Parts: sequence; C-alpha cells; structure tokens
Amino acid sequence: VNGAPAAGSAAGSSAPVRRIDAALGLLDRQLVDCDGRLAGKVDDLELTRPDGPGDGPPVVTAVLAGPGALAHRLGGHAGRWLESVHARLHPSSEPGPARVPFGVVKCIGSAVELTVAKRDLGLTRFEDWVRDHLVGRIPGARRAPE
Amino acid sequence: VKKVVAVSLGVLTAIGGFVDIGDLVANAEVGARFGFSLAWVVVVGVIGICLFAEMAGRVAAVSTRPVFDLVRERLGARAALANLVASSFVNFLTLAAEVAGIALALQLATSVSYLLWIPFTALAVWLVIWRVRFETMERIFGLAGLSLVAFAVAFWRLGPDWGSVIHAATHPVVPSGEGHPTYLFFAVSLFGAAMTPYEVFFFSSGAVEEGWTPRDLNVNRANVLVGFPLGGFLSLAIMGTTALVLAPRHIGVANLAQVALPSVLALGKVGLAFLLVGFFAATFGAALETSLSSGYIISQFFGWQWGKRVRPVDAPRFHAVVLISVVLATMLVLTSIDPIKVTEYSLVLSALALPLTYFPILVIANDPDYMGERTNSRLGNALASVFLVVVLVASAAAIPLMIATKAGQ
Repeated sequence: VNGAPAAGSAAGSSAPVRRIDAALGLLDRQLVDCDGRLAGKVDDLELTRPDGPGDGPPVVTAVLAGPGALAHRLGGHAGRWLESVHARLHPSSEPGPARVPFGVVKCIGSAVELTVAKRDLGLTRFEDWVRDHLVGRIPGARRAPE
Repeated sequence: VKKVVAVSLGVLTAIGGFVDIGDLVANAEVGARFGFSLAWVVVVGVIGICLFAEMAGRVAAVSTRPVFDLVRERLGARAALANLVASSFVNFLTLAAEVAGIALALQLATSVSYLLWIPFTALAVWLVIWRVRFETMERIFGLAGLSLVAFAVAFWRLGPDWGSVIHAATHPVVPSGEGHPTYLFFAVSLFGAAMTPYEVFFFSSGAVEEGWTPRDLNVNRANVLVGFPLGGFLSLAIMGTTALVLAPRHIGVANLAQVALPSVLALGKVGLAFLLVGFFAATFGAALETSLSSGYIISQFFGWQWGKRVRPVDAPRFHAVVLISVVLATMLVLTSIDPIKVTEYSLVLSALALPLTYFPILVIANDPDYMGERTNSRLGNALASVFLVVVLVASAAAIPLMIATKAGQ
C-alpha cells in the first residue's frame, strides 16, 4: 500500500460520520499514545478488501509506522538505504513495518491519538536502544523536569 | 517584569537569528562596503519573518503542532526529507560557526586563542541544554543579548547627519567600486539571514515547550512584534556604525574586533564591555537555538518524542541528536576552518531551502482542521503570498549569485 488517496471512515462511533481524505488528513500525521507521548508518524496505511459478496471499497485496517513503513514511502536511494539499515538492525530476518491496528485509534485531529501505550505497539525498539546505550548513561538523564 | 519575561522566547529567537556570529560580521561588512544602501533588505526581512513566525506560533498555540510536523504533513515524506537534509545541514554549519563564535568572543576578551576555548564552549552549550530549564535558558541568553543595544547607543553617539542617513537608506544606490551582482548577493544573504528557517523551527517548538494554548495568542503576537523588530533594529545599528566610521575610510570588515571597532571609538571601554557580553550571549543563544533545532526537526520528521519538558530518558533520540550535533560541529571548527566563512555560506544555503519551510506554514495556517476559526486573515494571506514569491526569487537567485560573485568578493 503506498498512500493511495482512499477515503477512510472516521473512527468515532457516536459522533456523526466525518469523511477524511486518507492522504491529506491521516497520512504523515503525528501519533500520540494514551500517555500523551509522541509515538511516531502515520508513515503508511494498510488497506484491506472486505470479504464477502460484492467487492466493497478497501478499508483502512492499520496504521503502519516506523522505518519499515517509511522506507517504502520514500522510495529511491534513501528508501532502499533506510530499508536495509532497518533490516540489518532488526532481530527478525524479514522485518515488516510496525502495525498499529486501526481499532486503537481514538481520534484523528491535528494528531492521531491512540488508546494504548507506545510500548505495547512495538514502536520503541530504537528508542530503547538509544536510551540504554547512550542517553540513559549520562548523569542527570532521569531527573524530572521542573 | 512579567511582560518582559513573557517575550523572552521571541527575543532569544530573534537574537539568535539576526545577530549570531555570521550576521554580526555580515551586517558590519555590509555597512562598511555598501553604507546604508542595503538597510531596506533588513526591513523587508523583518516584515517577512514576523508574518511567518506569527503563523507558526499561532499554529503551535492552537494545535500544539510545531513547524516540522507541518512540513512533513503537507509536503509528504519525500519532499519533507529533502527539506530535513537541507535544513539540518544549515543548522549544522550555523551551530559550528556559533561554537567558534562564542570562542571568538572569549578570545576578544582574554587574548587566548579561540581554538583553545572551543572544547569548553561546546561543553558549556551542551550542559546548558542538558540541565537548564527551557524558560530559564531563554531568559538568561535573550536578556543578556540585549546588551548589544550598545551598538545603537554608539550609532547615536557618533552623531550621524540623520537627514542624509535617511536619504541614503531610502534612495539606495550601488556604491562605486561594487558591481550589481555583488549588491544583489548581499541582499539575498541579508534576506536569508532574516528569514533563516531555524528561527521558526525554534520559535514554534519553544511555544510547544512552554505549553502555549489558544489563550496565549496575544503572547505569540507580542513575542513576534517585540523580538524580530528588535533583532532587525540591532542589525541596522551594527550596519550603521560601520557605515559611519569604516565606509568613508574604505576599511573592510573581516573579524569580530573590526565589528566592535566603531562602537569602541564612540563609547570607550564601557562600550566594549557591553559588546563583549552581547557577543557572548548572542552567539551562545544562537548555538542553543541551532543545536536544539537540529534535535527538534529530526525528531519531528520521524515522530519521535522531543523536547525539554520531559525527562531526557523519555526523549532519548532527541537528546542523542543534539549531543551528536554539538560533537560534530565542534570537530568541524576544530579543523580551524574560518567560522565566519562557514556562516556566510550557510546563509546562502538557507535562502535556498526557505520555500520548503514557509509554504507548508502558510497552507496549514489556513486549514480549519488545524486552526478552527483562527485561520489567516485575508490581508495576512495576501502579504504572505507576496513574501512567498520574494522567498522563491531569493531561493532561485542564491546559488547563481554566489557563483557569479565568488560569494561576494
């Protein structure tokens, strides 16, 4: 899926249905988790064709985030380079992009808010590594901001 | 006092943008070579940066989204990456020059070679970012930078003939001995200096760091209307002192001591003391602004947690980017590369990258999805569109002019 401008349906169940242009209103927005932490970007979207009789339009089933998803969006040399770095540093041999099921999306505004913590989405591997090996080792790294 | 403190973000942003090490020398050089004939560019630049910084601050206050979020969101991943690479490169060159600039200010005060000061100044910059609260940082360096007002006092003490100064500034003529391409080259660099993208990166991210809400829109306007005109005023004062003293004697400006020379003539030792404090604070402030901006824009492009309002362990990649930027910039200037040349080139490169930053700001400031009822006024849009054209022209002209004039030689 490469950011096709499909019309995804809004997640709000009680509110009146709001139409969102997936390319304009969803792609490349900031992800914010349930603790208010910045959790990455909507780097790409997973679209699925619904099963059953009568092929309906594809439905957005997940937000794809992280270098695995971004590499495909970038394309070209930069994309290939990012993908190979991602593959080399990732523990599994064929790493896909991190997948955030669309069900955990709470609301879509100037940011996309989630109902879960980013730790539970597998989005923090690189962040954890940088914390454990560099920033967390500097004195004062755990001092709370005043 | 509370009101003075409330505008310190704008003051620090503008001092870092208008009177950092490259601008200090560039303004003085322009005054010495072109007199008052390029003063209008500073005025145009101030209006431009006010327009776009106000929009960026308003978007940040209303939607809590800083500028590089907007760039990524409107330009998409690929074009935003191009902007990220260009802007990071400009940030890096400027940061390197500022680290050396702080050291040059210390050299002027102590006569100890700036190369010896560089490791200590770099460490000091990083320690301030690591330990000092955002608001404290902006107050100390923003307010200390105000001692550069000594340039304005010096200009006044030099007793210019106001009538002829105003005439020279409003009827610009290319001085004999300078070609038109050189004149235009300096016009583009001054414009680029006034509108450097890291100003809006820093200003909007600072607004988010300070937790602005729609109730702070007045604070935003006050910051913009005090900070940037003040920065422009200081640039003009520097230009004015060298235009009065050095230009008639055909003395060029190549280093920081020559920037201070006319003011020291007018004000003596006390003036020099104020200038040294001002040089130190302005270069230090610009170093903070550019190193934080590197962290801000890279984090915002990838969606990483950023900022000084959370513990460093909660924004590890942001702090890693800042640390690595400071280390690399320090290594660059320790090669004894001329720091002033470095910023002069970075100004031209920044003119090149301007449209990729300012276009998304203008688009989002009109998007009711982000802004609700606080979208741009028609007048604001008309002015901003005119400026976007100016920005495009400056961007297109930057490299050809640099090549044609051998960077203004």
